[in-house]
Amino acid sequence: MNNKEQRLTRAQVGGIVKMLDLTTESEFDCGECLHYVSEFAEAQLATRPVGEVIAKVEQHLALCPECREEYEALRKILAAKIL
Amino acid sequence: MTETEINWPAALRAPDSGEQAAAMRALRELLQHGLRIALNNRGDVSEAHLEDFAQESLLRVLDRLDQFQGRSKFTTWAQAIALNVAFTELRRKRWQDVSLDALLADGDGLAEPAMMADDVLGADEDRVRLVAVLRQAIENDLTPKQRAAILGELREMPFDQIVELLGTSRSAGYKMLHDARRALKQRLHEAGITGADIQNAFNR
Repeated sequence: MNNKEQRLTRAQVGGIVKMLDLTTESEFDCGECLHYVSEFAEAQLATRPVGEVIAKVEQHLALCPECREEYEALRKILAAKIL
Repeated sequence: MTETEINWPAALRAPDSGEQAAAMRALRELLQHGLRIALNNRGDVSEAHLEDFAQESLLRVLDRLDQFQGRSKFTTWAQAIALNVAFTELRRKRWQDVSLDALLADGDGLAEPAMMADDVLGADEDRVRLVAVLRQAIENDLTPKQRAAILGELREMPFDQIVELLGTSRSAGYKMLHDARRALKQRLHEAGITGADIQNAFNR
């Protein structure tokens, strides 16, 4: 990989600092997020308030693009009302 | 079958019965239908892929039945697992040719001035100062693997792929990444850079 290819874009540098801003002492990892994401998605769809534990899902989704991608796909399926 | 017609956990646990076979078949078809909806805009997913994902997902759901706590609908819980199975496999295929050396080289390069040059940052003084503090912290406070993990994440490399390349477990990998982020955040804090400074520097 040459230097030009390695070079970070401004958006990526911004991504680092925003990721740090969202970092907290206690966070869910991806496994914990998956464990609770179905409850979070249903609550969001119904615009129900979520508890402190489930709120950690939202915080993890802000930090983790993979879990966010899966959550958005779940929202798409829930919106189709097949479940 | 619908959620109101079936007690999925009980049906899926029914030993050697027609009820169990019917529930498994119905759930597999439901998961596949959901995956078809979720992945319909991707050109790299065929119906055969969907069948494979649904079958693997069914096995994963059966393996984790004891973890279902009834806090959501069973089918929503199962579909979240199916999406995790499908996306994990699709990401693995996309990143399978990236080597550990390339990732570590990226991690080393993150501390290089050339990685965050003026044309990337613009002439904004606050932003340049913030990135200078960040660069120093990356160089002094992180291990090569922590640097590589952060850069891999920034480049949207799947977390499973990062931990596989680094030869660690998911939980240990997440802790490594979390520790790295906390260390960098602490350095920014010590330099008097607040969350508002971060937002301001990169939102204008």
